[in-house]
Amino acid sequence: MKKICTLTATALVASSMAFGGSFQLNLQGIRQTAMGGTGVAWPWDASTIFFNPGGLSRLNGIQAYGSVNIVTPNVKYVQTPTGGYSASSETHTTTPFAVYVGGPIKKGSKIGIGLGIYTPFGNKLDWGNSWTGRYVVESISLQSFFFQPTVSYAVNDMISVGAGFVYARGTVDITKAVPVQDINGNDGQAKLKGGANGYGFNVGVQIKATDDLQFGISYRSKVNMKVNEGDATFTVPGSLAGNFPNTTFDSKLPLPEILTVGLGYKFTSDLMVQADVVFAGWKTYDSLSFDFAENKAVQDTHDPRSYKNTVAFRLGAHYQIADQFAIMAGGAYDPTPTRDNLLSPDAVDGNRLTLSCGATYQPLPRLSIMAALNYTTTPRRDVTYDPANFRGAYQIKSLLPAIGISYTF
Amino acid sequence: MKKSYLFIAASAALLTFSCKSKIDPDTPSAGSADFSVYVAMGNSLTAGFADGSLYRSGQENSYPNMLAGQFKLVGGGDFKQPLLPGESGWPIAPAAGRLPKRVLDLVTDCKGVTSLGPKLYSGVPDTAGSATNIAAGGPYNNVGIPGIRCIDYDVAGYGLANPYAGRFFSSPMQRPLDAALQPVPTFFTLWLGANDVLGYATAGGEGANGGINLTDISPLPAFTATYNKVVGAIVTSGRSPKGVLINIPDVTTIPYFTTINPKGLVLDATQAAQLSAAYAPLGISFTAGANYFIIEDEAAPGNLRQIKAGEYLLITTPGDSLKCGGWGSMKPIPKQYVLDASEVSNVKTATAAFNQVIADNANKYGLALMDANTYLKSLQSGVTWNGVTYTPAFVTGGAFSLDGIHLTPRGYALVANEIIRVANQTYRSSIPDVDVNKYSGVRFP
Repeated sequence: MKKICTLTATALVASSMAFGGSFQLNLQGIRQTAMGGTGVAWPWDASTIFFNPGGLSRLNGIQAYGSVNIVTPNVKYVQTPTGGYSASSETHTTTPFAVYVGGPIKKGSKIGIGLGIYTPFGNKLDWGNSWTGRYVVESISLQSFFFQPTVSYAVNDMISVGAGFVYARGTVDITKAVPVQDINGNDGQAKLKGGANGYGFNVGVQIKATDDLQFGISYRSKVNMKVNEGDATFTVPGSLAGNFPNTTFDSKLPLPEILTVGLGYKFTSDLMVQADVVFAGWKTYDSLSFDFAENKAVQDTHDPRSYKNTVAFRLGAHYQIADQFAIMAGGAYDPTPTRDNLLSPDAVDGNRLTLSCGATYQPLPRLSIMAALNYTTTPRRDVTYDPANFRGAYQIKSLLPAIGISYTF
Repeated sequence: MKKSYLFIAASAALLTFSCKSKIDPDTPSAGSADFSVYVAMGNSLTAGFADGSLYRSGQENSYPNMLAGQFKLVGGGDFKQPLLPGESGWPIAPAAGRLPKRVLDLVTDCKGVTSLGPKLYSGVPDTAGSATNIAAGGPYNNVGIPGIRCIDYDVAGYGLANPYAGRFFSSPMQRPLDAALQPVPTFFTLWLGANDVLGYATAGGEGANGGINLTDISPLPAFTATYNKVVGAIVTSGRSPKGVLINIPDVTTIPYFTTINPKGLVLDATQAAQLSAAYAPLGISFTAGANYFIIEDEAAPGNLRQIKAGEYLLITTPGDSLKCGGWGSMKPIPKQYVLDASEVSNVKTATAAFNQVIADNANKYGLALMDANTYLKSLQSGVTWNGVTYTPAFVTGGAFSLDGIHLTPRGYALVANEIIRVANQTYRSSIPDVDVNKYSGVRFP
């Protein structure tokens, strides 16, 4: 009975802050989003800073580009193998955005420069504080912002190359219940909030084989996001407050390297089709650890994740209806990096099937207004999260509108 | 511009996809069992006893009540429990050793150190009406009776001796077995036999190994005869019920016996030297640091010795006597607080023999067997459920209530899920698990 501080209370299997497979956002350009996420082979606009920095020197001039996505995923949990229990995540809207400025430094120059600010990873998922998985996670909010200064060089009429440096900033905000109940049966609460940062780079090559056929390859390095001295705040019954001091925590999570190879082909002067194959090095996301500065009741945690590398396939088409007007459509198959026995409710994922469409309107030759609609779903997936002995089936559905504007100077 | 309609049409097509997931849980099935009339038979564990007493919310959180809730998903009917009116615990008769329930509170010990510990509920007792016979509201589906042993189950007039039974028995001469079969079950659980060893163990093993007093280990022949008779009577009763037999836990794995560390006598060098000098004639020496306590043992020279690993001190050993009264160092801890090696052996041998009788009955009648003995042992390495890990540790482990023997609502929910697991296995049903996290563990001030 001595000290309650022996309360190892898996209290804090402080799992989970995965920028998991599900948190990868392929929303860095409106045209590309409308075309199933394809875009490595073709320099559509300044968003090529993200998709393939090699394309930047091929733009018609310095372009300013901005886009925003309205993300409102619905995730549902049901009890397995049978039962009566289900839960849906509360609806929260996030708005991943992208801003690019760049292009050839002057008309006809072989050198392009630019800066991109975009949000390649992020998620917000809120199960509420009374659901059955609340000791694993109640809510999780992840944001990331990548700042990428970029240079590009057109080696000759065929080949252009580019490279960017990535500085990443992020925030993480996790809440979960702590299994110590007060006299009225209310759970304790833990809140982990912190900022993260990391570095990486981005390189790409575009090859204009003929006027109608282009190839592209891009590589984005792994970015190790490190959280230093995030704030861990605990709300527990008064008699236990001394065992749950507010403290700080360190953590890190690797955002995977991504290699994309693709091609684009113009079947007619109006119809263009492009396809990408995307390799993501998720294997680097082996485990998630939280190291608390002060360990009393709350012990450091180390949760296995054991992600697998993935290869995704994407296909898109662009049809120029009129001089000022184009439509796009596409689809993608994104297999999940997660394992069936290690799927935590804070990083729900499944094999994703995406359908998309979009349109652009050019009221002025230099001005483009763009819109896209992206529908993503996963099949029902029966899984467990073994470290918490948490079992269930999940499905994700998301309908995501996006708009953007660009102006070429 | 006409082609722009294409885009609008495509967008409209996308919008028609559902944006909300519509997956639903799979429907449970009853398999080959009929859950329409469920009767839970057993002792205090079945009644919902917790924190040293029986009280209404404990009954509401009994594992049978949880099971009945799940059985309703596969055709189960109403489940009546002989609920007490109040929360203070009943009966309260300190002279007879019947105390109100324990609550967790700050307790100051003889050294002035304040820490969390169990304390008797100090509110005004809300026991009015508890003793009233409520048989008219029955028959009851939960016929768990705190204190009952296997060998009591066929005794006419048992309700006169046990107030918990007397409350809901429809006649004073009813046998517990009669009350159990009154609702004519289609499905039953039987968790009986723990008190046939526990009374001996909680009295420090001072009773007889093979006797019928409450502090004895029940004689194996009597246990066997009664258990066989009870199960035989149940399975041949009106609706030929199927069910789950639950065996007897190893009492030496519960916090009542494991909370006080036998090697808990912490001494500095001076104290160790003094004690070594004092005990030199008996050949007992002490070292600085943790030492085994001194216990009473009539078989040892001087009637005392050091306790050994594998022997247990009961949770009822007065803490202040250990800390300030010289118990375990200057004076031996009285034997009624000690379960020594031979007493442990008696308990384990009897438990194994009784559990064999239970297993034989499960085999004979094709009933499911829930091996509570093994399951509760598995708690020692931690059982994790939906993000919470339970252990047998007192207070902090989350599974055992403040009496160190009975379970918390969450502990009972774990038991309910293990019963569901074996029932599903035996009867090919697919009853879903109880949501353990819906219930309470230990509540902290």
